Amino acid sequence: MTTESSESPAAAANGESGRQGRLAGAPDIITAEGVSKWFGDFQALDEVSLSVKEHEIVVILGPSGSGKSTFIRCLNRLEEHDAGRIVIDGIELNEDVRNMQTIRSEVGMVFQQFNLFPHLSVMSNITLGPQKVRRLPKQEANQLAMELLERVGIPEQAEKYPAQLSGGQQQRVAIARALAMQPKIMLFDEPTSALDPEMIKEVLDVMRELAESGMTMLVVTHEMGFAREVADRLVFFDEGALVEQGTPEHFFENPREERTKLFLSQIL
Amino acid sequence: MTQMPVAQQRRIVLPPHRQRARRPRSVRAREWVRRNLFPSKGGTLLTLVSGAVCGVLLAGIIWFVFFDANWQVITDNRWLLFAGSFPHDGEWRLWTGIGFVFILIGLAYGTWSSLGRKDHLFIALAGAFTIFLMAHGGAQIWSTIWFLMAIGLLYAAYAVAVRVPRELGPRRRLQQRVVAGLLALSLPIVMIILMVGGGATMRQLDGFVLNLILAPVGIVGGLIVAIPLALGRASSMRIISWTCTVYIEVVRGAPLLGWLFVALFILDDVIGGDLIVRTMVVLAVFTGAYMAEYIRGGLQALSRGQYEAAHAVGLNQFQSMQLIILPQALRISIPPMVGQAIAIWKDTTLVTVILTLREFKGNADSAIAQMEFIDDRIEAYVFVAVGFWIVAFMMSRVSQRVERAQGVGER
Ligand SMILES: Nc1ncnc2c1ncn2[C@@H]1O[C@H](COP(=O)(O)OP(=O)(O)O)[C@@H](O)[C@H]1O
Ligand SMILES: [Mg+2]
Repeated sequence: MTTESSESPAAAANGESGRQGRLAGAPDIITAEGVSKWFGDFQALDEVSLSVKEHEIVVILGPSGSGKSTFIRCLNRLEEHDAGRIVIDGIELNEDVRNMQTIRSEVGMVFQQFNLFPHLSVMSNITLGPQKVRRLPKQEANQLAMELLERVGIPEQAEKYPAQLSGGQQQRVAIARALAMQPKIMLFDEPTSALDPEMIKEVLDVMRELAESGMTMLVVTHEMGFAREVADRLVFFDEGALVEQGTPEHFFENPREERTKLFLSQIL
Repeated sequence: MTQMPVAQQRRIVLPPHRQRARRPRSVRAREWVRRNLFPSKGGTLLTLVSGAVCGVLLAGIIWFVFFDANWQVITDNRWLLFAGSFPHDGEWRLWTGIGFVFILIGLAYGTWSSLGRKDHLFIALAGAFTIFLMAHGGAQIWSTIWFLMAIGLLYAAYAVAVRVPRELGPRRRLQQRVVAGLLALSLPIVMIILMVGGGATMRQLDGFVLNLILAPVGIVGGLIVAIPLALGRASSMRIISWTCTVYIEVVRGAPLLGWLFVALFILDDVIGGDLIVRTMVVLAVFTGAYMAEYIRGGLQALSRGQYEAAHAVGLNQFQSMQLIILPQALRISIPPMVGQAIAIWKDTTLVTVILTLREFKGNADSAIAQMEFIDDRIEAYVFVAVGFWIVAFMMSRVSQRVERAQGVGER
């Protein structure tokens, strides 16, 4: 029982700002059609359909347990979907392990709990993927890592271990680690939810910069300021279903569904 | 007083303590004595009683070691106890092996740790004990010199290794790789030194030398067996996980003694080969089952996020295991693994029950079976106990060091 969105992404992209204008005519890079997922008897995703254009920033909202994490984890196959189709950059996600490997190196993921590798230095955390998966020579990988650390604003932390960094710094390293694979798409699963308030901004700033650089991003977050300012499109999940989607203006000014209104009234 | 957050309260209370000027040493010493030895009436009584007990024990030990004991049972049987039927003309091989091991110890300490006051004290005491036994009864001047040279090599290797700065850099990486490589190859290298080119045969590995070879074989072999076992038991493929579980439970279900008899009788028919080799196989198989369980504990202690992050970065199953999961799981399981290593070290005495294998403790039995030493069993067993303790103590020190080193920057 999916509720079809009131506005198509194309309609959303017709909006006023230049940011949205640049999406006109961009091809879809993520296509999910009727994606369902069960954990035992419990249906965590209920025929979710969502397309994302190249360079688009989509923010996913929804109450806890509504399936937001499950959905974006399906997009790089940390979870297997049980029904429906997911196509990323022209490659279908299915049992083929080679497809999975290809997609994982094209899709970067940032977790709520950072999940840095505690036994490796910041530098090694970042260079691991490029060296082992993309077979970059060590010199190049190190150079790339330093550039990324500059970009997220902590080049001086390169030789430290994750436990020696603050939460905000750790999350920025995690972003650099994901970027090191030079992904086309970045998935963020509540990247600021485990952070102390004073560190949230430094991570959001990095994400803002990333958005401006043209990265395609799917962001699960409760940071409404960020959503309003950066998102091209907001998507609302409830009880495993995609309930409503539209521009930030649409969402914050006149949401259509009762469930969306209720959620927004609680969170704003 | 107004309510304030705990953190703030602490911040206000702490500094005055820290900044208080240090009082003279004599005052601090008196204070320490009062606080630690005579804190109250009951405490004073406890101190006096335990002090008296320690005093009596110490006096007894000194009396025994220096006046009462007849160490001739040891000094006359030095070679028997230490090397047994190892060929006498291969003595240089033993000293070369000892020198190599001491160099390795020095390198390892210099690379990953540092020699502290307690280590120097330990080396001095263990060294004095050894030299006392070698010099006692005379005519062992060369052995004493070799031994002192080996200790000199330990310190020289240490001095070289500590000079490399600890910051991660190309030189540091090279150093870690070289020393780790040498450690990994140390056992085969020692075996080559002892056996290749007209040295001892398998069967001539004897006495303390045999314990010193069997235990590392059991420990290293056990580790090699344990890693696939632990991964297998945690595997989602049922047949693999069942097979590994059965292996682990069956091996742990019977005592080592029983498995040694399997080596003596059953394995003889199945694989044949030298009894010492069969014993090595059994020790590795036995140790591996225990270590597998400790590694599995380490695997379970890792969060699912580590597996997910490894996959999200694009690593395949094998790479995730090799680069992310196993290094962390092994680190976590070091303390119980060292416990197991110490246990197997002491359990090498059990090979004596396979009558034809003669190790340290077994040779002590032979020594006191000689007519003239029939009354000196206490001396012999005290000596054996101290020998085992020295090595076991070194293992537990290493484990402490590794644990402390892990504290920095990990988890
Ligand atoms: N591995 C799992 N096993 C069983 N149930 C799960 C698992 N992962 C998630 N769920 C359930 O699926 C639902 C959706 O979870 P999730 O996608 O994490 O929600 P959200 O991220 O929106 O908070 C929740 O009810 C959760 O309990
Ligand atoms: Mg979630």
